[in-house]
Amino acid sequence: MNVPHKTIRIYSSWYRHLKVYSKNFFSNCFPPIIEPLIFMIGIGLGLSQYIKSMDNLPYIQFLAIGLPLASALFTAAFECSYGTYIRLEYNKVYDYMLSGPLNIDDIFIGEIIWAGTKGLLFSAIVALIFLVFGVLPLNFEILIIPVLGFVTSIMVASVSLIFISFIKNINQINFFITGVISPMFMFSGTVFPLGNLPPPIQWVINIFPLAHTVQLARAIYGPYPIHSIILDIIYCIGFTLIFSYIAIQRMKKIIIK
Amino acid sequence: MNNDKIVISGTDIHKSYDNFKAVKGINFEVEKATCFGFLGPNGAGKTTLMKLIYGRINRDLNSSGKMSVFGYDPAHNPCDIKAITGVAPQDNNLDADLNVLENLMTYSKFFGLRKNAVKQKINELLDFMQLTEKANKKCIALSGGMVRRLLIARCLINNPKLIILDEPTVGLDPQVRQIIWQKIRQLKKEGITILLTTHYMDEAYQICDKIIIMDKGKKIIEGKPKNLLRENIDRFVLELPPLSKNKLDEYLKDSKDVNFEYDQDQPVYCYSESFKSLQNIANKLSNDDYVLRNSNLEDLFIKLTGRRLNENQ
Repeated sequence: MNVPHKTIRIYSSWYRHLKVYSKNFFSNCFPPIIEPLIFMIGIGLGLSQYIKSMDNLPYIQFLAIGLPLASALFTAAFECSYGTYIRLEYNKVYDYMLSGPLNIDDIFIGEIIWAGTKGLLFSAIVALIFLVFGVLPLNFEILIIPVLGFVTSIMVASVSLIFISFIKNINQINFFITGVISPMFMFSGTVFPLGNLPPPIQWVINIFPLAHTVQLARAIYGPYPIHSIILDIIYCIGFTLIFSYIAIQRMKKIIIK
Repeated sequence: MNNDKIVISGTDIHKSYDNFKAVKGINFEVEKATCFGFLGPNGAGKTTLMKLIYGRINRDLNSSGKMSVFGYDPAHNPCDIKAITGVAPQDNNLDADLNVLENLMTYSKFFGLRKNAVKQKINELLDFMQLTEKANKKCIALSGGMVRRLLIARCLINNPKLIILDEPTVGLDPQVRQIIWQKIRQLKKEGITILLTTHYMDEAYQICDKIIIMDKGKKIIEGKPKNLLRENIDRFVLELPPLSKNKLDEYLKDSKDVNFEYDQDQPVYCYSESFKSLQNIANKLSNDDYVLRNSNLEDLFIKLTGRRLNENQ
């Protein structure tokens, strides 16, 4: 038997995750769909009584543009931190994947794309709910949101993999979720615009991948300079290439030994 | 030895983890369609060596080591080896939430097998491993014996030329062990080369054509199980309860052709080529608190690796 083509090997890794995830589909879908809705109802409806507009948009709409991507952020962060760590240390999933003709690249490219798939799916569902309730306007450009959800998730998945390659036990993932992911959600222009923050803080925030995908999403709904759009796109491509490469090298180091 | 028949070979294989040397210069050759056993106490380096063979981990490349598995070097072409190899691990790494069929189906995707072709193969394998009735059962609900049979079924899904079984019957009841041995013999007849690790000496004796006994990362001895016994240990063993050295000397007074192993407060083992000599000793005992039997691989194993635990066990 010959080694299957690389695309088939990557697909088989992706397929394994799809198969296992969809076994408990509804309980698995609950957080990434419901959490942004709770946030929307609590913060959006509550605060919009006091804040009529933000960045020239109704506050509810301002939130509705960023929240689908926040859903992609969280789903990728959990998938590739707790999810990967459990597969690695407890369920020994990579051991059995590596007994097939896969190498670490195949496995983790598949896994990052799988995280991206979840980001695409959940950002689409959340955006669709906002669309149905009239919070987001119906137009062709809304299809860009799931694409940005995918991009957000593959960037976050890569960073998550790098993080867990350094930790010594599962509890240390708390440092990542609370120390990196929660601030990324709060300070990426999802809840309030970044323009009025002091420049040094803005500079720091620009490290966050979510800040760039949220800006791209905002470009759908308002005037946004073209050179900024191009810079955001270059950032996303560069971030994905560099961090997914590092993630795979780190996984090689800790798994192949 | 016929060189055309050798499908796996390793020369001067080393593997170290940080400061720990797990494998220290092993040489071996495996012939096609034979069952080759790696024996040794826990921590001897058996599992590490298996993992080196299918490229799961990398051997130390600074040594003069060479390895060839069906013509491929696992350090450079692990996927080519894994495409023709089946690996059944020591630990259960099935997906607990998936049922038996789904586990096999998901695994078959790694080999790029087409769904329709694989369905037929899965049915054959379930039948072969007597798991057909469990096809739709979730893996979390399987007994230890079923899990092990399923792991072996899974490793056969790609019609491998080589299968690697890491402790295939550890923790299983005698019936399941017998079934697994029988299946392994059957696979060997079909031309599949089998590598296995075990620390059950009866298992090695039952199914291995050739064994290597390892200890602390090194090969101690190699050969056919029967030959190893014949050449390295007396044919019969008399096991006596712990007794004082004086008493033992008294029992052994007239017996010239008996070797013994004495350790204070431990059972005493007397070895001899002559059954009668040992029988004479046994007759001197005031009760029948002894065992007189043929020597087996376990005696040889203990003779070679010692009765006490080392720091890695």
